[in-house]
Amino acid sequence: MSVGFNAPGARFFEGDRPTPVEISLHIASDSLQIGLDESRILHWPLEDIRRLPDMAGKRGAVLRLASDPLARLYIEDLSMLARLPHPNRTSPPKGRARLMAWALAAIAAVALQIGFLVPLLADNLAGFIPARGERALGETTLGHIREALSETGLNPLEVCDGTEGAAALAQLTERLAAERGFNQDLTVSVLDHEMINAFALPGGFVVLFRGLIEAADDPDQVAAVLAHEIGHVISRDPTRHALRSAGSIGVLGLLLGDFAGGAAVLFLTERLISAQYSQAAETGADRFAHALLKEAQITPAALGAMFDRLRKKHGDAAGVTAHFLTHPRLSDRIDLARAAVDPAALYRPSMLPGDWAALRDICN
Amino acid sequence: MTDSSVPKGPWATPPKAAPAPPEPTGMQIDFVGKRGALFWLALKTGFFTILTLGIYRFWMKTRLRRWYWSAMRPGGDPLEYVGDPIEKLLGFFIAVVILTFYIGIVNLLLMFVSFSVFSAASVGYIASFAGVVPLWFYARYRARRYVLGRTRWRGVRFGLERGAWGYAARALMYWAITILTLGLLWPRMTFALEKYRTDRTFFGSARLTQGGRWPMLYRATLPFVVSLLLLATAVLWMVWLDPVFAEGTPEPQDVAKTVDRMFETGRISSDLTAPARLFLIPIGLAGLLFGAIYYRWMAKRIMAQHKTARGIRFASALSGVRVSFIYVLGNFIAYLFLVIGILTLVFLALVTVGFDAVMADDLGLLGGYAGLPRWLSFGLLGLLYLGVFLLWGVLHNTFVTFPLMRHMARTTSLPQAEGLRLISQRERDAFAEAEGFAEALDLGAAI
Repeated sequence: MSVGFNAPGARFFEGDRPTPVEISLHIASDSLQIGLDESRILHWPLEDIRRLPDMAGKRGAVLRLASDPLARLYIEDLSMLARLPHPNRTSPPKGRARLMAWALAAIAAVALQIGFLVPLLADNLAGFIPARGERALGETTLGHIREALSETGLNPLEVCDGTEGAAALAQLTERLAAERGFNQDLTVSVLDHEMINAFALPGGFVVLFRGLIEAADDPDQVAAVLAHEIGHVISRDPTRHALRSAGSIGVLGLLLGDFAGGAAVLFLTERLISAQYSQAAETGADRFAHALLKEAQITPAALGAMFDRLRKKHGDAAGVTAHFLTHPRLSDRIDLARAAVDPAALYRPSMLPGDWAALRDICN
Repeated sequence: MTDSSVPKGPWATPPKAAPAPPEPTGMQIDFVGKRGALFWLALKTGFFTILTLGIYRFWMKTRLRRWYWSAMRPGGDPLEYVGDPIEKLLGFFIAVVILTFYIGIVNLLLMFVSFSVFSAASVGYIASFAGVVPLWFYARYRARRYVLGRTRWRGVRFGLERGAWGYAARALMYWAITILTLGLLWPRMTFALEKYRTDRTFFGSARLTQGGRWPMLYRATLPFVVSLLLLATAVLWMVWLDPVFAEGTPEPQDVAKTVDRMFETGRISSDLTAPARLFLIPIGLAGLLFGAIYYRWMAKRIMAQHKTARGIRFASALSGVRVSFIYVLGNFIAYLFLVIGILTLVFLALVTVGFDAVMADDLGLLGGYAGLPRWLSFGLLGLLYLGVFLLWGVLHNTFVTFPLMRHMARTTSLPQAEGLRLISQRERDAFAEAEGFAEALDLGAAI
């Protein structure tokens, strides 16, 4: 038995000339018979007929044969579709091995780039940037961070400048730097944000968040964090880091494609703030902080106390919220800080109660 | 449907197919397909794109193109887009492998030099941008070659010959000339680049030719030039001839203060001379925008009139005013819906999660205030950003690209089409990296 279909509106293109051919359509013995002129008949097995997906317009459909990349049959009588067993089956993707090979190559290239080449270059170049350039790099980066963290997205995040609080902070910085005289190279500021965090930027910028000052039990803990960040500044860790980011951000934008821009910048900001330096850099900054605190007659245990405070406050489950918790081997670092305490030494509080109150109030 | 059983075997009395209408000499282009269908397709594929963190965008782009192509029907037969998402993904990987070194290392070095020598980021940014420009033109040509190579009509392939570096070199040259002549020779650039592309375009065995001469494009610049002259005259008038501001040119802050005061007091401050003239500036700027859109599309129309192939001519009745209208209204609607959509989302979040939770989360989104790890907060913010971006893309497709395509299709025709008889199939353009470079360099945002 065969079934004929309304051919009006049906057009067939064999795939050579862009001129429609008159046809008749029949379905018989599981194949579609396409009658062309001069009694030529094409047989399309029903199970191999596919319908083109995502067509605009409800009227009409375009059919093709799975094994023939070119020939196209346009039908307007959609009743034929019901007789096709697999109109929407997709053909298996070709060249899967090749795709996998290039995917791996792409991953390897990005990994090599971000994990090896960029850090290598950045570490070697960081020492050659003159102080003025480093300063400019730090200023630019701080601007980016303030913009990215602003709540409204309109005005950059406020820098807190309460007069008395700023004076107290300056005094503390001076006391820490007194012995070594790098005071004039440092710019310590407080950003009005509740994040419990602090970071250093190229060119001697050290930034504390309001949240960190509020979370600290006593001024010694703030002093300890400050000393730690100064340690990063002195060893130029932030400069290396910023150069690395400059190299990585382009690659990242590349990966994210069309909707890059914002997402890449967001990611960069996160990286800059969380500043996951190497374990060696962290240990170095800790050791530096111990020495600096000792010279300023502030107990090095405060650094450990601050870590401990953060760990207790957030618990192990809520975990990795704060900057320091993401750093390597926290308990080791707490132990080291405690071990740095000299039982014979006389420690003084880092700030007078009045100054401490002013610092806590710096953002109001 | 007529399920007419034919008793005497299939072909004894073939059901008489209506004879195909004799090929008319001319041909119109129709556009079928509803806006709603496109909206859902774009929304659905956009959603998958977010879910897959962007991987699905290759499928999204393919499916949207299939839809648009099949909506355009010269002589009633749909165009067909046969591009494959997998080959796009492959092309993207290839582009990443090649570009990652260039972009990463070069950017790092540029930044280093920029800060070491100039103590500023701007030099690095400019140099980094300038380095990508030739690549950008190269990628555009390659992307066009890929798209044409994957477009068919009546089963016959389109194609574009090789020549991407030649295109990039010419584009750079014409841009330099255009900039040096302060834009006076812009039409020459438009024409020369379009001619370069058109003369390498094929449909089947037929090569297209761009006729005409570049000065013919000057009439499309009329609205832009008039707006520019008006604006220049207005500025001249208000700054030198009869200054609006009594005490010379004011600082931007002072202008802001004056405007603030104007809103507060409801009166126009008295130290301005005939301030109503200030409204000439936004009018002039709007005129410039209109002029730019008008030029771009009227240039397309004029050049379409002069495209030919053997036995085939094209005509275009595209309306520059209509296209500008589509741009303005479409973008307005898209932004309006975007704002409404975001507000609805926020409202839904407030209702479902509860006011307190949302507020707390909002305050601490970046700070881990609500106990979220910061990387997760940043991740959520990133997703939100992608969501808004994609929603905008969906709306742009629905309210700008769709009406533009429709207008373009319906105003284009082939007054002479006998040449189609002479055309036969052309070879497939195997194209390893698809539009990978264009994709990686962020060129594919259109469609």
